[in-house]
Amino acid sequence: MGDADDLLPVEPAYKNVLRVRLTVTWLFLAMVALIARYALADVTRFAGLIPIAVLLIGLAVVAIAPTRIYRRLRYRLGDRLLQVVRGWLFHVDTVVPLVRVQHLDVVRGPFDKMFGTASLVVHTAGTHNSIVTVPGLTPGRASAMRDIIREQVRTDFA
Amino acid sequence: MRRSLRSLGGAYALIAYLAVSGRWATAIIAAVAILFLGVAGTILYWMRFQYRVGQDEIRIDSGVISRRHRSIPFDRIQDVDITQGPLARLLGLAEVKFETGAGDGRRPEEGALHAIALARAEEIRALVRGSRSAAVAPVPAAQEHAPIFSMNLDRVLLAGVFNFSLALFAGLFGLSQTVGQPLGIDPFREEFWRKLFAASAPLENFVLTHRAAGVLAGIVLLLLIGLATGIVRTALKDYGFRLDRAGMGLRRRRGLLTKTDVTLPIKRVQAAIVASGPLRETFGWSELFMQSLAQEEKSRGNHELAPLARPAEVDAILEEIGWAPASGDFAWTHVSAAYVWSFALGLSPLLLVVMVQAFALWPLAVMFSAVLLALVGVRALAWRRIAYTVDGDRLLVRSGWWRRRLVLLPKVRIQSIDYRQNFVTRWFGTATLQLGVAGGRAQTHIIPAIPTAAARQLREDLLGSIR
Repeated sequence: MGDADDLLPVEPAYKNVLRVRLTVTWLFLAMVALIARYALADVTRFAGLIPIAVLLIGLAVVAIAPTRIYRRLRYRLGDRLLQVVRGWLFHVDTVVPLVRVQHLDVVRGPFDKMFGTASLVVHTAGTHNSIVTVPGLTPGRASAMRDIIREQVRTDFA
Repeated sequence: MRRSLRSLGGAYALIAYLAVSGRWATAIIAAVAILFLGVAGTILYWMRFQYRVGQDEIRIDSGVISRRHRSIPFDRIQDVDITQGPLARLLGLAEVKFETGAGDGRRPEEGALHAIALARAEEIRALVRGSRSAAVAPVPAAQEHAPIFSMNLDRVLLAGVFNFSLALFAGLFGLSQTVGQPLGIDPFREEFWRKLFAASAPLENFVLTHRAAGVLAGIVLLLLIGLATGIVRTALKDYGFRLDRAGMGLRRRRGLLTKTDVTLPIKRVQAAIVASGPLRETFGWSELFMQSLAQEEKSRGNHELAPLARPAEVDAILEEIGWAPASGDFAWTHVSAAYVWSFALGLSPLLLVVMVQAFALWPLAVMFSAVLLALVGVRALAWRRIAYTVDGDRLLVRSGWWRRRLVLLPKVRIQSIDYRQNFVTRWFGTATLQLGVAGGRAQTHIIPAIPTAAARQLREDLLGSIR
């Protein structure tokens, strides 16, 4: 079950989605840093460093993170289970048996629409992992996976 | 009504403030206004509240400004809970809550009828149950078999002793910080005590000269209050606890001032948890909880089936619902010592703090390192108890030192399995398995520090049986 060969990567366009999303987040943080700089100007001498630090970290994150996240993101749709593998520093490998799936969504956010990707969102009944997401798929592949999984679902909470 | 009174807490503080700062007139006017608004609001709500029990649904129309028409089909209702507060019991009324098994308990009041006559409430429950299980013959109400499990007064009091609680002080602290300030009562400031003692000079001299005795008396008082609080709270909650079989469920009745009568459908049970603690286990007592899809009032999805029971009684309850017993010789697999070492590694940056303190104030450094050592020590104690085993078609996980738990989880109830590793545990060669189970809280089913190969093997084993 843990074979690296069967695990498929998602679409490369997902890297761009990540980049745009991270850029937006860090722009927001940069604004907050500017506000903090002026608010704390009297409190400490180092207030001027805050926006610079945030800017540098933000640039580093947007340049490096998307590629690394993309490389570590893998998924596999087996005949009885769905497996999603994410991360290296904090590695999480989730397996959901298909018969336990509650319902499925194919979601396209604004950034997804820009770059032609979609996410498959799988809902389970457990309170942990109640939502398992496979991001960065092509819309066609996501819909195909949804249909395949729907055949297998057999939850009985009578 | 109770809820709306409680939500006016802020208003009470305002009134108290006004009262003590001498503005009596304003305070009285504010109190009267709030009382009037509260009563008027409640009356309006009740005038506009209607419910109707139909052929196969309950219809509830409610709301003053924004109307809500809700229809709950009997099929969606898992069961009907009947609760009676002390005042309601005097008036012969009850509150009826419909359990609909929604996942996270985000909507606890899917349907609730307040202040219904008790007889009518029981009628509604019989009706809902009757229509749900048309194939099963309804159990005649007159028949009362022996309970599966019950607690007499002695045991309730004993449970209270184990539930030693200093909650009273937390409450008093909160009170002193809000209402106490304007009234000048703040036990956390020295002047308060000085003024108090100044009022009786002999007492003051006595206390000052016998400091040690004073401290001892204080500790004894603390212990007594803790015991009393625990006993009172447990008696109020678990008085007259009894567990009976009711058709396809377990019926639990308990309570002193507020009586509750809840039925837990057996088929909805996801996992069983046998909980204990160092003191309880020494005397051979434990608690039994069921994690279920139906909702529980207070403990977020874990129904308490036995607040204090012997292992044999726990096994008897498990047998009643068709599960294998919890006690017995199991082939436990322990987890790696990396559980302790990775934690110690995580705490090691704090050693820097200790070193800084060693230069400045060395007593502080000693205290701080003692705290760090204590934390690692407790973790090591917990590590020795953590173990798991696969027993036929279920998984057993044992964990914890202070809060001891034994989780009985049938394999078919596992919804998902996470294999987790971070950069520290990877270096130690271990991983954590986190299991997704319906109901209950999200963090509860974790097996830490399993060697990677064994972890993958265990996951394969647990999921392989799911068809």
